[in-house]
Amino acid sequence: MVIKYLLKFFLVLFFFVSHNHSKADFFKDITSQIEDNDFRLSYGISVTDVNQDSKYEFVVTGFGFSNLALTYQNGKIVNINKNEIFDDAKRKTIGVAACDIDQDGFEEIYFLNTDTYSGEKKYSDRLIDNNSDSFVDLFEKDINKKNLNLTAGRSVVCVDRNGDGKYGIYVANYGGPTRFYELRSGQILDLAEQLKINKITGGRAVVAGNILSGKTDIFAANERGKNFLYYNSDGYFQDIAEDYKVDDQYENGRGTTLTDIFYRGRLDIVTSNWNGYHRAFVLEDNKFRDIATPTYNIPTRIRTVISADFDNDGYDEIFMNNIGEPNKLFKIKENGFFEEINIKNAYEANGLGTGAAVADIDDDGILELLIAHGESGMQPLTMYKADIKKDFNYLRIKPLNKFGAPARGATVILNSNLRKHAKTIDAGSGYLCQMEPVAHYGIREGEKNISIDVVWTNGLLETFNVNELNKIIEIRQK
Amino acid sequence: MREILDIFFKKIKLLKTLFIFLLITFSCFLKPSYSKDFNYYEDLVKDWIKIFPDQNRNAAGPKFFKHILDKEITYQDFIEYNKLYCAVSGSLISPNSRPDFVYLKSVENGEKICGFYHKCCFPCSCDLMKYSQVKNMKHKFSDGEKEFTVLTIKNPCGKKDFPREVNRNYFCNGEVLDNNQVVSIDNRLVIGLLHNSSKCNEQSIAAIDKDEYTGAYCQLRNNAPLEQVQGGMGDIFIKMARD
Repeated sequence: MVIKYLLKFFLVLFFFVSHNHSKADFFKDITSQIEDNDFRLSYGISVTDVNQDSKYEFVVTGFGFSNLALTYQNGKIVNINKNEIFDDAKRKTIGVAACDIDQDGFEEIYFLNTDTYSGEKKYSDRLIDNNSDSFVDLFEKDINKKNLNLTAGRSVVCVDRNGDGKYGIYVANYGGPTRFYELRSGQILDLAEQLKINKITGGRAVVAGNILSGKTDIFAANERGKNFLYYNSDGYFQDIAEDYKVDDQYENGRGTTLTDIFYRGRLDIVTSNWNGYHRAFVLEDNKFRDIATPTYNIPTRIRTVISADFDNDGYDEIFMNNIGEPNKLFKIKENGFFEEINIKNAYEANGLGTGAAVADIDDDGILELLIAHGESGMQPLTMYKADIKKDFNYLRIKPLNKFGAPARGATVILNSNLRKHAKTIDAGSGYLCQMEPVAHYGIREGEKNISIDVVWTNGLLETFNVNELNKIIEIRQK
Repeated sequence: MREILDIFFKKIKLLKTLFIFLLITFSCFLKPSYSKDFNYYEDLVKDWIKIFPDQNRNAAGPKFFKHILDKEITYQDFIEYNKLYCAVSGSLISPNSRPDFVYLKSVENGEKICGFYHKCCFPCSCDLMKYSQVKNMKHKFSDGEKEFTVLTIKNPCGKKDFPREVNRNYFCNGEVLDNNQVVSIDNRLVIGLLHNSSKCNEQSIAAIDKDEYTGAYCQLRNNAPLEQVQGGMGDIFIKMARD
C-alpha cells in the first residue's frame, strides 16, 4: 500500500518537475505590455530621453509608419509622441541615433530616412531637437537646406571626435558619400570631406567608442567593400582597417557592437555578416584576430547584434537578431568561449527582425529587449526580459558629460576581484539601432571590491568606489 | 630644314609605336594581380570551358580544385575561389552564397571535423557528410606555405559501376588517379575545400544535428535506399564516392 502511494507521489512529482522544466526559458515574453501594438513595418530603435523627464524611452522608427516614443507607464509600454514631425508616417525611417549636438544637456534625435535601396533618395533625413516642448527638424531651417542628406543610408552613430562634448553624427550612406554632421554657429555642416571620411561604399553598420586611440574611434561594417576602422587622431581620422585586419572585404557587414570578450577591461569588436561568418575581433599584438568559432560564427540572415547582461549573472550575452530565421543567444564565458543558449521565447522562427535595443525601461534592474520587425512583411513589436529565478545583484552606471548629456562613446570599466569588465556607452548604431546610455552590470557570485573607472570621450580616466549595489549611479564629468 | 623636321617627326612616330608595342607586350606577360576588386567568379566562368572541355561538369569538383590550386595565387585568393563551386555536383555557385555548417570524419582517426561547405543545394551537403572524409593538406602559395583541410573520397577509378554520367577521363588514368588533372593524397581524390575547419565540440555537433537541413533533412536523405534518392546530384556522386 505504502509503495503504491509512494509510486503515485513520484509520478505526480515527475509530472510537475518535467512540466516546469519544459516551461523554463531564458527569456519571458512581455510583449503584452506594449499597448496598441499593431502590425507595421519597423526598423531601427534608439533609447533616449524624448520628453526630458530623466527617464528613457524606446524610439522606434517606422518605414511608412509612425515613429514611436515608447515609455513605461503603470505596467504598460505606451507611445507618448503626439508631434507630427516626430511621427512622420509619410517618410520611411530606418536608422536612428540620439546625442547632444548643441550642448544643452538633452539629446537630439537623428532619423535616417531611406526611400531607395542605394544612391539618391527623395526625402531627406531629420534631425529633431526638442525645443520648448515642441519638436523642430533642424534640417528644415533654410540655413541647413543645402546640407541635406539625399543619399540612401542605413545607420547613424554619434561621435564626440574632439572629446569636448560636442557630438557629430556619422551617417553610413549606401552608394553615396558618407556624411559627418556637426552643429557650428547654429548651422549643420557636413565635415566628412574635411575629415577625409567621405568615402562611397555600401554603408551598413557603424559603431563609435574607445577602440584603440583612447578617444572615440569609428568602426564601419560595409557591404560590397572593405570595412573602415577610423583611428581618432586629434579629432581627425585615419582608416587602419586593413593594417589591423578587420577589413573583411569579402563579407557583407551587418550587426556590430563593442564588447569586452575576455573581460580584460578593453573593448573588442563583434561584427556579423549577412549570410556570412560572424566575427569576434580581439586585439592581439597590434592586430585584431577573429576568435569566433562555431556555433557562434555560423552564417545567418543577421540584422542587429546586442551585447548585454540580460540575466544579471555578470557575464554578457550576445543576442543575434535575424530576419526570416530564428534569433540566437550566446553567453560570453571566460577565455572568449561563446556558449549557445537555447531559447524558446525570442526565438521567433518566423520573425522578420529588423532592429532591436535594450534598456531597463521599467527600472527593475533587469534589461528589457525590444525587437522591431518589418521589411518583407508587417509584424508587431515584441518584448522580452530574462526570466531570473534566483536572487541577483546589479549595478547601473550612467555617465553624463560636462553638459549633463549622456556621455555616448565613453567607456565604463567595472573592476573587482573577479574581472575587469569594459562596456561602451552606446553611441549607435550596431545596425540601425542604439542602446540605452547606461553600462548595466549583473554582479557575479562571490564578487567583491568593486570599483568603477570611466574613460571619458576626451580619454581621461576617473575612478569611483562602489559602496552600494542594485541601483543606478549617475557619474558627472568634471 | 624641312627635311630635318620630317626626320625628327618620323623618329617621334617610331618611338611612339615602339612604346605602345612594348606596353602591350609587357601587359601580356603580366601575371594576374588578384587585386582587392578582382572578380573570382567571372574568372572561373571564363575558365569553365578550359576546365571542362566536353562541358560535362557532373561531380567534377576535383577538376575545379586542381584548376585553382595550379594558379599562382595567395592563400586568400585560394579561399575565395573555393567558395564558388560545389565539390559534390561540380556546379558553379554564385558569389556570397551562404555555406552550410557540416561535420565529416577525418581519414586519419575518424574524429568529427566541423567546418563550412559552400554548396549548390542542400542534398549536396548531406551527400558530402555521409560519403566524404577530410584530410589535411599543405601547399605553397605566393604568400607562403599554408595548411588547410580538404574534402576527399576514395579513389573511384577501380569502380565497376563508375557512374556513366561522370566523365571518367577527368579523374582516372586506368585505375589510377590522374594527377595531371586532379589532386590526390594517399590515393584519395580531393574534391574541394572545407572552410574554417576545426575539431567539433559538442555544441557544434548539436547545432548541425538540429539544423533543419543538415539535421532532419539529411537524416532522411542519407537513410533512404539509393534508388529512392532524389534531388541534388541524385545518386551520381553517391555511386562515385561510396565504398
